[in-house]
Amino acid sequence: MSKGKRLLIIDDDPDFVEGILSILETAGYEVETAYNPKDGFDALESKQYDLLLLDIMMGRGAEGVMIARKMRKDPKLREMPVLIITGIREQIAYLFPGQPMHPHFVEVDELVEKPVEPDFLLERVSALIKAAEDRKAKG
Amino acid sequence: MGEAKSKILIIDDEEVVLDSCTQILEGGPYHVATAMDGTFGLELVQEFQPDVVFVDLKMPGIQGFEVLDRIHSFDPTIVAIVITGYATVSSAVEAIKKGAYDFLPKPFTPDEFRVITRRGLERRKLVQETTALRREREMLREHFAAIVSHELKSPIGAVQQNLFSLEYELSDLLTEDQSSRIERMKSSINDLLELIRTWLRVITTDADIKKLRESFQPLSVESMISKAVESVETHANRKDIDLVVSLESPLKPVYGDEITLVEALVNLMSNAIKYSRMGSQIFVNAEEKENEILITVADRGVGISEEDLPFIFGDFYVGELSPDTERGSGLGLAITRRIVEAHGGSISVDSALGKGSTFVIRLPAMNTERHNEPAQDEGVLANS
Repeated sequence: MSKGKRLLIIDDDPDFVEGILSILETAGYEVETAYNPKDGFDALESKQYDLLLLDIMMGRGAEGVMIARKMRKDPKLREMPVLIITGIREQIAYLFPGQPMHPHFVEVDELVEKPVEPDFLLERVSALIKAAEDRKAKG
Repeated sequence: MGEAKSKILIIDDEEVVLDSCTQILEGGPYHVATAMDGTFGLELVQEFQPDVVFVDLKMPGIQGFEVLDRIHSFDPTIVAIVITGYATVSSAVEAIKKGAYDFLPKPFTPDEFRVITRRGLERRKLVQETTALRREREMLREHFAAIVSHELKSPIGAVQQNLFSLEYELSDLLTEDQSSRIERMKSSINDLLELIRTWLRVITTDADIKKLRESFQPLSVESMISKAVESVETHANRKDIDLVVSLESPLKPVYGDEITLVEALVNLMSNAIKYSRMGSQIFVNAEEKENEILITVADRGVGISEEDLPFIFGDFYVGELSPDTERGSGLGLAITRRIVEAHGGSISVDSALGKGSTFVIRLPAMNTERHNEPAQDEGVLANS
């Protein structure tokens, strides 16, 4: 299932990234990392990934949200599944009033909280990739 | 700021008073503006933004008292001093009751006027400093939350994440003893994260709720209670405690934020479980009384002593008589009270040592008939 699947992680906390990177690599994913929003978006535009793991609070604020908004406007990136991994569920409540728990940044996304258990992380990643493939197959 | 001239506005219908006051202050570090009546005076209050305003109480047109009121509703930090031509104590007292800082009886000497001006300006400075300090404290409070969140939570979260991944990668190699040590580390770090989360809640609840109020919506009481029950069920089962829920039907909805209200209910239920003996019962009721929804959580646990009762809704109160070793942060009830009050409700307790405690949350009931079309209302309720 994970064979040949390419993932991108955008998160400004290298220590945290190491903690999920090794889980994903052990499970057989090919994973690239970007430690700031700019490098992250450049990578998204220039390469092909099956899923994005995205942090919200980066740089001067919720810069992850900016990435998600840019992706929604991009016809090519709009379909890519996004797994939001964030330590700030509470704060999201007032970033997006009315959608406190599950802000739909892009059409296909999901939110998990840091830290995330390995089994849960792998399950979500593979489910999101599968859902995206099914959507594509249906056309 | 020290260089800036103070701004004094004088509102009096006697030209001679305006002239002499201006002259008295001439040469000092002041900008002086004058107005012959209340209407013009109030215009100047907005344009000129004075530090101190002198207001004659007896003027044609808008009365002095009215001028005072309007100055204060425009900017409560402006210091107002009334000039009373007919120096009766009663009108001066009334002016001070209405928020005037002091009064100056006519006729007055230049020195009296200078002294009272200086005192008024000192007062103004104090008021401004207090306001600035208060604002700073609020900002600190909000920023502190963000700082704690990022500087404390992030590294601890990263440590936990790496423990997760180490355990995952080494799962085939770890001995039982090593696994159990990793488990213990994970569990301690988890407690730490929970504690930080709770502290953050206390610090940010007030600010949070103010923001959440913008997105209040009609909520079904039944659904909130069942969500809360669901989230404490494991804890209850572990102690073999029976949660007996009985709800009046139908119940009117309440208007609010679901996440925080459910949190409030969860707090009460977890406390009830925490302070109950193994195998006992907890009763959760909801009913409507006089247009209020009453949600009651009653236990037959250890109860709260009379001396402790006044303090339980304050920060950091922890019940001492927990029958097992569970210990809380002492913030649950404080948060619960804040949440309930932010919803226009109240919380009360009735307790006897050794017999148990009964907590009652009262929330204003919503009159569904007056709001929206029924169909739309139902849709909202079904979602929530």
